[in-house]
Amino acid sequence: MVFDVFFLQQVINGLSIGCVYALMAIGFTLIFGVLNVVNFAHGEVYTIGAFVGLMVITAMAPPLLAVVPLVLAVGAVSGVGLERIAFRPFRRFTDEASQKSRAMREATLLSSLAVSIVTREIMMHIFGGDMQGIPSGYLLQQPVAIGPIMVASGSLVIFATSAVMLGALQFLLYRTQTGLGIRAVSNNQLGARYVGINTDRTIVTTFAVGSMLGATAGILVGLYDGAISPHMGFAPGVKAFVAMVMGGLSSIPGAVACALLLGVSESIATEFLSSGWKDLITYSLLVITLVFFPQGLFGHGRERA
Amino acid sequence: MDVNVPDARLMPATLAPPAAFSGRGRRFAWTLLLLAVAFGAVPAAIVGTGSSYLAQIAITTMIFVILSASLNHVTGTAGLLSIGHAAFYGIGAYAAALLSTKAGLPFMVTLPAAGLIAALFGFLVALPTMRLVSIYFAVATLGIGEMIYVVLLNWVDVTRGPMGIRGIPPISLFGWQADTLLSRYLAVAVIAVACVWVLHRLTHSYYGNALRALREDDQCADSMGINVERLKIESFVVATFFAGIAGALLAHTSAYIAPDNFRFMESILILAMVVVGGLGSLPGAVVGALFMIVLPEALRDIGDYRMIAVGATMFLSILLLPKGMLAEGTALGFVRRSFSRGWATIAGGMPVGWK
Repeated sequence: MVFDVFFLQQVINGLSIGCVYALMAIGFTLIFGVLNVVNFAHGEVYTIGAFVGLMVITAMAPPLLAVVPLVLAVGAVSGVGLERIAFRPFRRFTDEASQKSRAMREATLLSSLAVSIVTREIMMHIFGGDMQGIPSGYLLQQPVAIGPIMVASGSLVIFATSAVMLGALQFLLYRTQTGLGIRAVSNNQLGARYVGINTDRTIVTTFAVGSMLGATAGILVGLYDGAISPHMGFAPGVKAFVAMVMGGLSSIPGAVACALLLGVSESIATEFLSSGWKDLITYSLLVITLVFFPQGLFGHGRERA
Repeated sequence: MDVNVPDARLMPATLAPPAAFSGRGRRFAWTLLLLAVAFGAVPAAIVGTGSSYLAQIAITTMIFVILSASLNHVTGTAGLLSIGHAAFYGIGAYAAALLSTKAGLPFMVTLPAAGLIAALFGFLVALPTMRLVSIYFAVATLGIGEMIYVVLLNWVDVTRGPMGIRGIPPISLFGWQADTLLSRYLAVAVIAVACVWVLHRLTHSYYGNALRALREDDQCADSMGINVERLKIESFVVATFFAGIAGALLAHTSAYIAPDNFRFMESILILAMVVVGGLGSLPGAVVGALFMIVLPEALRDIGDYRMIAVGATMFLSILLLPKGMLAEGTALGFVRRSFSRGWATIAGGMPVGWK
């Protein structure tokens, strides 16, 4: 029988990995929406979230619920800092030609990459390149029985946190003035500027929001896996990027759906493939999706430049 | 009026900034100077010091010159952002390594074969992905690059997986073996210069102008009667062919290859060379490769802080020169110069333009 207990457990594991990808993919989507550039340093925000969480836990041993707001704050600060360093200097030219210029776009892509290299190397110097263990009291690996299925408590925490954060994000985007600004800037930056929206502030807010989600994903994975390292942000960063593109670049529901799809398919793939081949599934899904849906699953048609 | 489009462009490997190349003579002098460095000063230094470290860096630089010049062809000139270039470099390297260690074929066969096999893969990749635009294409190349890496890493029966392939024979031509440091370097340098020259002839021609047209606006180019699909596929295949050649050179000069030489970060490094040097500018790609290979080596003294310094330098060079060190000349400037040159004989040296 295909739907045996083990299979269901794999699906649940996959969904929790998918939620982590989704939290990161939303950050990518938001930032791509307002700036039309890929933020290569997003994986570093995730790592920073995990390391700050670890530092706080080892230094003060606070309750788990106190760690999350702190990580959120750190995420917001690092997002704002990242925007200031890697993106703001390249918005010197605000005319339409420069915004669409390929050289400028690829310059921002590489500036965020350069910032991510520097950040990662600095973290390597501070924390060393090895895996760091999380104190066992905070690990989210206790098995919880739901009917016949055993689920790690971390999965449940990840589901709950993701649900709360997605809800909060929907509220922010569709029920507040700030969210309206973000949506306006993603729709048309120049137009938003013309109707009096402070685009610079909106972009900073977007970075803060996106990085909060990324940093939370980092600490959740840290607590779930039990070990963190300065390199941990790379793989989920690429996967989240893939999920964003599969979902159609600017669609948040699309990014979430594709992130969950990637997580589940990876986790099921480990059942009948050795773990080395796992990544092949992710990228085959990506390529097949793009061949049949050149604009991603939820993207809309090509805009005439 | 002599408006010769192909020849009025920058020659490869010239260091002159676009504003300064008024005469053909000056470009010729720069090219000669760089060739003198590549075939005079560097070999002299290798022989003089006898340092294998220096030779190794010189060979690596030459290989990356090919890689960045070929990526520049597809990303800079044809405008297709490819972030999986290292995978085709890997295919070339593995093709050469397997053909020479398992089938015992000589270098004369493995070098073109590596290029052709990489180009074949490039063609197969290009067929379905060419209708993707901008970032979708970039991500497709990323995905395919990672797939190729996963296959190289896990198909242990053929590629020996993470252990890599050892004992690849050195470059040899008709019985002559490039087994000294100097001859190894010279063989690689000759091939690299030939590759750059071919890419130069391809880019600085009407064909290259068609590629630029589809970079600027492919829908517009299509409506002008340019076969966009076909040109995109051709430019991608050409770039992957040269990446394969670079891979074969790596395999035959280092005698050992492993999948980690062809990871995503390597693709990003090649892209960084092209962008730092100047997207769309062949001299820029060459200079970018020199810069990104030599800089980390020059900074070895500061040890662990080397990568921080590399990242910071990369950031600063993009911040201060967003169009690259040797930016591609603008079309308007080119037209103005050409007209001025033609005008000079008639109007007594009055420049054309509105500056």
